[in-house]
Amino acid sequence: MDSLITAAGRALASGDPLGALNRVALREDPPALALRGIAMAQLGDFPRAKLLLRRAARGFGTKEVVARARCVVAEAEIALASRDLGWPPRRLAAAAATLEAHGDRINAAHAHYLDIRRLVLIGRLDAAEQALAAMEPALLPSALQAVHGLATASIALRRLRAGAAQEALATAREAARRGGIPALLAEVEGAFSTLHAPAARLIANGEERSLLLSNVEALQSSPALIVDACRFVVRDLQASVSLATRPVLFALARALAQAWPADASREVLIARAFGSKFTDESHRARLRVEIGRLRAALRPVARFSATRDGFAMVPRHAAEVVVLARPVEEKHAAVLAFLADGESWSSSALALALGASQRNVQRALEELATAGKVQFYGQGRARRWTMPTIPGFATSLLLTAPWRDA
Amino acid sequence: MTASKAEIIREYGPFPGVDKVHGVSFDGERVWFASGDRLNALDPDSGKVERALDVPAHAGTAFDGRHLFQIAEDRIQKIDPRTGAVLSTIPAPGGGGDSGLAWAEGALWVGEYRERKIHQIDPETGKTLRTIESNRFVTGVTWVDGELWHGTWEGEESELRRIDPATGEVLDSLVMPAGEGVSGMESNGKDLFFCGAAGKGTVRAIRRPKRN
Repeated sequence: MDSLITAAGRALASGDPLGALNRVALREDPPALALRGIAMAQLGDFPRAKLLLRRAARGFGTKEVVARARCVVAEAEIALASRDLGWPPRRLAAAAATLEAHGDRINAAHAHYLDIRRLVLIGRLDAAEQALAAMEPALLPSALQAVHGLATASIALRRLRAGAAQEALATAREAARRGGIPALLAEVEGAFSTLHAPAARLIANGEERSLLLSNVEALQSSPALIVDACRFVVRDLQASVSLATRPVLFALARALAQAWPADASREVLIARAFGSKFTDESHRARLRVEIGRLRAALRPVARFSATRDGFAMVPRHAAEVVVLARPVEEKHAAVLAFLADGESWSSSALALALGASQRNVQRALEELATAGKVQFYGQGRARRWTMPTIPGFATSLLLTAPWRDA
Repeated sequence: MTASKAEIIREYGPFPGVDKVHGVSFDGERVWFASGDRLNALDPDSGKVERALDVPAHAGTAFDGRHLFQIAEDRIQKIDPRTGAVLSTIPAPGGGGDSGLAWAEGALWVGEYRERKIHQIDPETGKTLRTIESNRFVTGVTWVDGELWHGTWEGEESELRRIDPATGEVLDSLVMPAGEGVSGMESNGKDLFFCGAAGKGTVRAIRRPKRN
C-alpha cells in the first residue's frame, strides 16, 4: 500500500475519520475511495459511504478479489448500521468465503459477526447462537472479541438470562478496553445499563413492583402461575401455554390473574376482553363462550370457577398467581421494543423483524408518530423511523476492522 | 526473462507493536523497517529489534551511507539515524501514492504504487529526473551491483523483479508463494534481499540469484 493510504488507514483505526479524509479527500483511486467511504460511514453519512464503497469495489482490478470482498463487508456493515436488513446476506457469505480462501481470517470473522448481529436483530436467536458457537474469539483481535461478547450478551438478554448476559458483557468490556475503541466501549456500557434498568413489572395481590432482568430470570423458576404479558404466555413450573395468537383469551386470563385470589366481575372481563363499556345479554353469552375456550386452552395450568359476579382463576399446581407486564404499558409495544435500540429503521425492516405485514407496521408507526412516541426522516422508500430517546442497544461501526490488513 | 520461485531463507518477527511493515532498508549492519509510527533497527543475526526511532513511517525507507530517508504521508524525510532528528523534507513525487524508496548513484528512487512507476529524484530538491514505467504495482525498490529491482504486489500476486532501468523491461522475476506479498525491499549488497511481508508484520530474507 502507498504512503497516504497507510497514514489514512492509521487515522481511521485510531478513531480519527476527519484525519483520514484530510489525507485522501482528493484522490479517486479505489483504496482512497474505500477509505473515504469508511470515514463517511463513521461520520454517519451512510448513503454517501455506500456510494463510495461501491465505486471502490468496481475500481479494484479483477485480481484484487480480497480488496473487493473487503468493500462488500464494509457495505454490509453500513447496511446493518442503517438497519437495511433486506441487504442480501448471500453477498456477505460469499465475501466471507473469499476472505477465508485468501487467508484473511480476521476480516472473514468480521463478516461472520455482521451476519450474527443481523440474525439477532431479526430474532433468529437459534441460528445466531449456532453461528456464534462456530467462532473462535480467542484467536481474534480484541475488538472482535468484544463483538463476540456483545452478541452473546444480546442473545442472553433476549432470552432473559441475566447471569449469562452479565458474564458475556464483562468479557466484552475487558476486550473493548484492551482494544481501546471508545465507540465499542460505549456500546458495552450501554448494554450494561439495560441490566440495571427495569425490564418488567410484577403485578401480584393487587400490588405492582418493577423488576430487573435478573428478577425476571429468577421468576422463571418461581412456583407461581405466571401470566406473562411480555410474551403472551401462561405458565407454571410444569406447563406453558402460549396465547400469542389469541389476544381475547389472553386479555381474559390477565384480568382474572390480576383479580386473584378474588374473582373478576363479568363487567370487568367484558370491558377488558371486548373493549365495551356497557354490557348486554349478547356480551354475557360471548363471555361464556370465551371462558369455555380459555378453560380448554389453560387446562394444564389452571381451572376457572363461576362465582356470583363473574369468574375466578384457580391455579392447578401453583400456590400463587402473578402477572408479568412490560415496564410501561402502551399500544404497539412490539414496534417500540425494536425502535428502542436507538437506531433508525425502515418499515420494511421492522415488518421483517416482527413477522408482520408492512402495511400493519406502517399503520402502527403512523399512530405512534401522531402520539409523538416515534419520529421519521426521509420520504417514500427512504423513510426511516427512530425513537427520540435512545436507551439500550446501539450498533457501533467497527469499519476499521476490514482494513486492518489492507 | 527468467522466472523462478522466491527462496525465503529466514523470517524475522512478528514484533510486538508492529502489525505491518511498510518499508525496509539496510545500513550495512542493521535492517531498518518502517512500521507506521516508528523506524525499527533489526539485527539480522540475532533477529532482535535493537532500537527504534519515533518518526512517522508510512511507506518506503532508504539509506545513503549517512542518513535514513523515510516516506511519511506525501513527504520524504531525511533522518539522522543516531538521534532520529528529521533534518529536512522534500515532497514525494507521487504526492502520497508513493510506496518504495531506494538510494543509488546520488539519487533517490521512489516507487509509485498504483501508477506502476519508479521515479528517480534529486534528493535535495525532490525534482523528478526521470520516470520508469513498470507493468505492475510497485512496492519496494532497491539497487544492487547496477541492477534495479522492485517488489510488486498486485491483487494476490507478488514478485521480486529485476528490470532494465532504461526501458522498464523485466529481466528476472522471483515469484512469491501465493498470498504472500512484498512490502518494501532492500538488498544487503551481496546475496540477500530483505523484504517486508505485506500485512504480516514480519521481515524476510530472500536469496538473490547468482549472476554468471
